[in-house]
Amino acid sequence: MSILSNDHAVELCQQMVEQSPAAQTEVSLLAVEDRFVRFACHGPTQNADREKYEVAMRVRVQANGALREARATCGTIDPDDMRATLKRALTLAEHADPVAQGDVLGGAVTIPGSALERPTQDHTFREKRAWIEAAQAAAQPAGLATAGLVQTTALTRTLVNSAGRVAHGAKARASFALTAYDQKNSSVAASTEIVHASVDKLDVSKAIASTVERAQAARAPQPIPAQEYTVILMPRAVSALLLGMAYRGFGAQEYHESRSPLCGRVGERIFPDGLCLMDDVHHELYPGIPFDGEGAPTLRTDLLRHGAFTGPVTNAHWARRLGLTNTGHGPAQPSSEGPRPQQLVLAPGHQSVEQLIASVDQGLLVHQFHYTNLMEPREMVFTGMTRGGTFRIEGGRVTHPVQNLRFTESLVRALTRVKGIGNQLEVAGALFGGEVLCPALRIDGFRFTSTTAF
Amino acid sequence: MTTQSMDRLAQEAVEEALRAGAQYADARIVRLSQEQLGVRNGQLTQADAPDDFGIGIRVLKDGCWGFAAAPAVPRDLADVLPGVARRAFKAARDLQAARTQPVKLAEEAGHVGHFATPVEKDPFRIPLQEKIELLREAEAAARVRSEVVVGEAMVSLRREEQWQASSEGANLHQVLMRVGGHVTATASAHGHVETRSHPALGGQYLSGGWEHIEAMNLVGAAPRMGEEATALCSAPACPAGEFTMILGGSQLALQIHESVGHPTEADRIFDHEIDFAGASFVNREMVGHHTYGAQTVNLEANSHLEHGLDTRGWDDDGVESQRWPIVENGVLRGLSSDREWAESAGDRRSRGSSRAEGWYNPPIVRIPNLSLLPGDWDLQELLRDTEDGALLVDGIRTWSIDQRRLNFQFTCQAAWEVKDGQPGRLLRQPTYQGNTPDFWNRCDAVCGPAHFQVFGVPNCGKGNPYQIAEMSHGAAPARFRKVTFIQ
Repeated sequence: MSILSNDHAVELCQQMVEQSPAAQTEVSLLAVEDRFVRFACHGPTQNADREKYEVAMRVRVQANGALREARATCGTIDPDDMRATLKRALTLAEHADPVAQGDVLGGAVTIPGSALERPTQDHTFREKRAWIEAAQAAAQPAGLATAGLVQTTALTRTLVNSAGRVAHGAKARASFALTAYDQKNSSVAASTEIVHASVDKLDVSKAIASTVERAQAARAPQPIPAQEYTVILMPRAVSALLLGMAYRGFGAQEYHESRSPLCGRVGERIFPDGLCLMDDVHHELYPGIPFDGEGAPTLRTDLLRHGAFTGPVTNAHWARRLGLTNTGHGPAQPSSEGPRPQQLVLAPGHQSVEQLIASVDQGLLVHQFHYTNLMEPREMVFTGMTRGGTFRIEGGRVTHPVQNLRFTESLVRALTRVKGIGNQLEVAGALFGGEVLCPALRIDGFRFTSTTAF
Repeated sequence: MTTQSMDRLAQEAVEEALRAGAQYADARIVRLSQEQLGVRNGQLTQADAPDDFGIGIRVLKDGCWGFAAAPAVPRDLADVLPGVARRAFKAARDLQAARTQPVKLAEEAGHVGHFATPVEKDPFRIPLQEKIELLREAEAAARVRSEVVVGEAMVSLRREEQWQASSEGANLHQVLMRVGGHVTATASAHGHVETRSHPALGGQYLSGGWEHIEAMNLVGAAPRMGEEATALCSAPACPAGEFTMILGGSQLALQIHESVGHPTEADRIFDHEIDFAGASFVNREMVGHHTYGAQTVNLEANSHLEHGLDTRGWDDDGVESQRWPIVENGVLRGLSSDREWAESAGDRRSRGSSRAEGWYNPPIVRIPNLSLLPGDWDLQELLRDTEDGALLVDGIRTWSIDQRRLNFQFTCQAAWEVKDGQPGRLLRQPTYQGNTPDFWNRCDAVCGPAHFQVFGVPNCGKGNPYQIAEMSHGAAPARFRKVTFIQ
């Protein structure tokens, strides 16, 4: 299998660093083992057992009186293949621009230890099948069909450079995603995804029960006009908004280039006092790889403290340029992309979802947003659809399902209207990738701009 | 390793899977070589040369799929094959009991052959310095004003070579060459951030060689991108209301992709994508009579399309490339399918729309090259025929469509108000929305072949786990009546 021991991975990278004729060299190695079962109305549709490597060689060569850098990658750990990759990187580097003065390869670091979750790595296809059969068994009596994904992934990442940096980290991810939908009308559906580092911590039975229950409750949705509503956004809906913000708002590059709505607003209390947002790949619920694309330790970094913006995330280049601490959020170099949050964590509040709902006289309960995309970067105007069961709240109670709506809303504006924060953190993702840890939110005056008939 | 030896290894992989107990097997050995160069604000910030090689083996056991994939180097591939084949079989065997209806593949002959993208100038043989100089010149030319905070120019070169075999006798070798490039200016002024890209946001991608990059005229177009991005920052916002809209080719290509391409994929129609990208408002019974748009609307799938990203000899099921109508005179006529879904879609034979991203992913149904066939209008005539106050809209900025592909909302880079038959006042952030069949029913004019252009989509995401596929959409500007714009 592709996962290598810490020692073996470091040794492979070190060998390549030593063989490199470049003035400076960095070698990184990603190893992935992934097993998944995708299923739909007829049962399993894709059952895959796969593995891969990504080996990247970043070199800096002295050419025409300056240090110049480039990189090349390959998909194996074969020594000849890696040497050929090194050669491609050297050729590219000769044509590159001089490296900015002061941008040096980082030296030795201390990286917190991380290990793979053995149960996640060992989770079998038969165990995955049992979950699918449980979902089918729960849904069928209710006239529902099921679709979804069971996936277990283990990965390690290793980085060694010629300045003495050695970093190794591991990450495990187990997920169970379920959509239950009406066999006669597939537009009536409810979806859930649960994610954890340890497969043993996934409460699959609870996820199945709640999804089936919500799909039944979502039948016969009623039309509803597009206008502003008070919304209770469940974590999967919140994640779509936060991920949009992660990609566009909190990085030092867009901050410096006046493309972020947070430009020039460090220290300003922009959002309500209860809003605390941080980036934390060390979070115990879902630890990630604890270093960035150059091997710099990824620091737990406050972004919003009691509603005030505390500053952008950085990498080595942007930290030096802006005189900030390197928070370790950069991509592998060279890259035209800037640093970005790796795992946003929105701090939980004190209210249960039931209490949040009870606080709303007239509003909507939204479980998921679909196809959320950025329209305008300075105000962070996003648009997207509701999905997976949307319900009317009247007099503090969920009363009936409603047809799906499109929202068009400034995230900056919406977050100033957060009136309640749930007390349960969940790992939640969205359609275009990425995951955050967040609770449910109550937001007042959330703008919906068009309707559907389903 | 020679092509013949790779062919033999692909066949050996199939035989290993059959020996393990599979009733059907196919194998794809794929090498993907790329070069990605990008200049940003005067610096070569992207200089990358990825190279990837591996094998994916797919089996059927008692009507249940299994798939396994592993990286390799050619000389070690023979050692890797047996283990990968056994893992694919085990996956199918262990999941079969949960399958309520066996997979049944539509009949297809086991084809044998070779296909290569026609290339005039091999992009990997163009001197590196020449490519980088082109990007430097284009990027610098885009930064014509101090308001331009980001100038970018990029080229992406991809050579994908695939050896494919199946237990039904397929033995195929394909070399697909694709190139892409763009120059982009982003301006920030007056509290607005605006972007203009040439030829398209994220790049225009075509199958072929360096000749396409040369034809893009990145350097010549760059100053206009900088000027327009700057002008957009002080332009008035596009007003809300109902307007006649002439939609330019690059945005129309995206409109085709999202509101015709995805809803007519068979796996979405039969709810196999419902948990992730979504399902479709289209159902099997609509084919042959459902009004998808006005009579002016003719949409054709064509995996032979010149310069198309999905132009190939065979799909990843080993089915020959085809050309067929999706919408004819406004009526829904066909769907995209693979061998698994062809019969359900009402076709005797698969449409050849099965594709996987590289060796690492199992194939799924994908949008083929899909084009709005040209009409007979000249663009100048169309502008003269259109009332003052109508909007000429183009340039992709952002997009969103619901999980059944009905309710969409697109924001474009720019609009020009039509005045006296000409594009006039520049407007910022035009955002239009609509409902798929209703929108296509508002199309009353399509420009002619002289305006027809093929636009590539290099990054269509679908499937869970997510995978990327490429396809193209040809379009000429078209007019739509009474389109809703919002602010």
